[in-house]
Amino acid sequence: MTAVAVPLEHVLFVAAVLFLIGFVGVLVRRNVIFLLMSLEIMMNACGLAFVAAGARWGQPDGQIMFMLILALAAAEVAVALALVLQLERRFASLDIDTASELNG
Amino acid sequence: MTAAAWSALLPYLVLTGALLVLLLVVSFRRSHALAMWLTLAALVATLGALPGSNAAGVQDIDGFLTIDAFANFFNGLFLLAAIVTALLGYRYVEARASRAHREEFYILLLTATLGAMTMASAAHFAAFLLGLEIVSISLYAMIAYPDEGQAPLEAAMKYLVLSGVASTTMLFGMALVYAAVGTMAFGVVLGASADPLVIVGQVMILAAVAFKLSLVPFHMWTPDVYQGAPAPVTGFVATVSKGGVLAVLLRYLVETDLLSHEALFLAVSLIAIVSMIVGNLLALLQDNLKRILAYSSIAHIGYLLIAVLVVSALASPAMALETGMFYLAGYFLMTLAAFGVMTVLSTGAPADTESLASYAGLFWRRPVLAAILTAAALSLAGIPLTVGFIAKFYLFAAGIEGELWALLWALVIGSAIGIYYYLRIVFSMIRTPDDETAVEGSGRSIEGIAAASVLGAAIVAFGIFPTPVIDVAREAVRAFGGFGE
Repeated sequence: MTAVAVPLEHVLFVAAVLFLIGFVGVLVRRNVIFLLMSLEIMMNACGLAFVAAGARWGQPDGQIMFMLILALAAAEVAVALALVLQLERRFASLDIDTASELNG
Repeated sequence: MTAAAWSALLPYLVLTGALLVLLLVVSFRRSHALAMWLTLAALVATLGALPGSNAAGVQDIDGFLTIDAFANFFNGLFLLAAIVTALLGYRYVEARASRAHREEFYILLLTATLGAMTMASAAHFAAFLLGLEIVSISLYAMIAYPDEGQAPLEAAMKYLVLSGVASTTMLFGMALVYAAVGTMAFGVVLGASADPLVIVGQVMILAAVAFKLSLVPFHMWTPDVYQGAPAPVTGFVATVSKGGVLAVLLRYLVETDLLSHEALFLAVSLIAIVSMIVGNLLALLQDNLKRILAYSSIAHIGYLLIAVLVVSALASPAMALETGMFYLAGYFLMTLAAFGVMTVLSTGAPADTESLASYAGLFWRRPVLAAILTAAALSLAGIPLTVGFIAKFYLFAAGIEGELWALLWALVIGSAIGIYYYLRIVFSMIRTPDDETAVEGSGRSIEGIAAASVLGAAIVAFGIFPTPVIDVAREAVRAFGGFGE
């Protein structure tokens, strides 16, 4: 492995910006589908950071972590979409704020 | 891998194998009773493999897992909690889930337990992440399990989104630490590092851990999820998922010496103090037993952080580690007992029996269940002759050894506030019921009552005679990093 042409800081910066975009999305979006998309952006930001970190050390570990993250994201989305179907059926809405029986 | 490594790994292999068998059995022959008994057999067989795993000594599995007596102490707790959850869940799931999908509950239960066991022995970020996510994803589905009602679904959705944010925060922190130090194994000493990447990364990891342990100010999800989740699952969330994170936190802190960083130590101390005080204060305002127990769990994990901090403060933290493990064992007993009683009472009802008013007069209607809940409440309050008292006493001794005076004050104040609402639970069971609010004690789950009775008896028995648990914890600590010598 040769050294990467793009400096580590730049990639980490892009990853951090992506992470923040996702985070803000989770905070402001009320539609469940968009919430899940925002989460996905955050996960992929982490993946990007891992790949960059792995490239810095010339190790495959970063890319392996990215594959783990992909698998986990898929599992999470599978459960989440099942919940979304139930949500639509029982609340007749995908707005997360209509699901607010619990409070205290 | 050597033969010793295989025998250390045996509990994990047994559980994974049993999980696959159960998946196959469920897809060919649907029988709720068969699934439950297979699950119990799998959990008991895994428990049976633990002594052999201990005998193999400290085994490093490719730098990914470290299997030792420390991990196996936690594994034992998780397996016992899973057995209790399966027993409690049987009639509950039968009543709440349609015939088409009752058996998958046990598959999820086993995967969640396997995830927690992975966390207990994690020695690498990847193992930590995998364990944590296996537990979380199984729990989303378990929380949303009942067919009817909006509350479980809402709780599952909230938990999924918030816990997803916490997990990604932790992942990003891990990526930053990896970028700075070049390895994801736990063995690197990070405490003294001044690298901003390491510090930001550690703060992100610790924040996510605090979320999973529901410590103030990351506790907002706790009461809602506790309330919405079905009672047996709530007990599992309160014990196994938190126990797993605590196990990995202890190992991580010991191996990286992270809290020798002064500002981080201060931050964790503050989180502990605020959790103890705020958790107990907010519990005072609640009339719902699930929410009371949620806030009480926030406070109890705050107490437990004292042991975590002493572990980091002392050069030879054997006693503090032992304290943390004993406290966690006690917390498992009393929390599961409380949710056990609630599950049994909820089994025949259309919704979970949660409001304190519905417990009125329980002493006259269901004396055994009332006695178990009383033992659990008194133990949570730390009244003598219960395991909760011994645990708190231990914690106090550890705090004095570590000279953490501010934390000890918070412990005393928190416990004093706590007595009020724990006694309120007991008194509400003596009160004469209004006719409408009291639940007719229709839950006749024999398995559930048996499990809850054993837990209740254990609370008192270990409160009077705690030596067996202490001995096991001491042995486990001795094997872990050689602190006992």
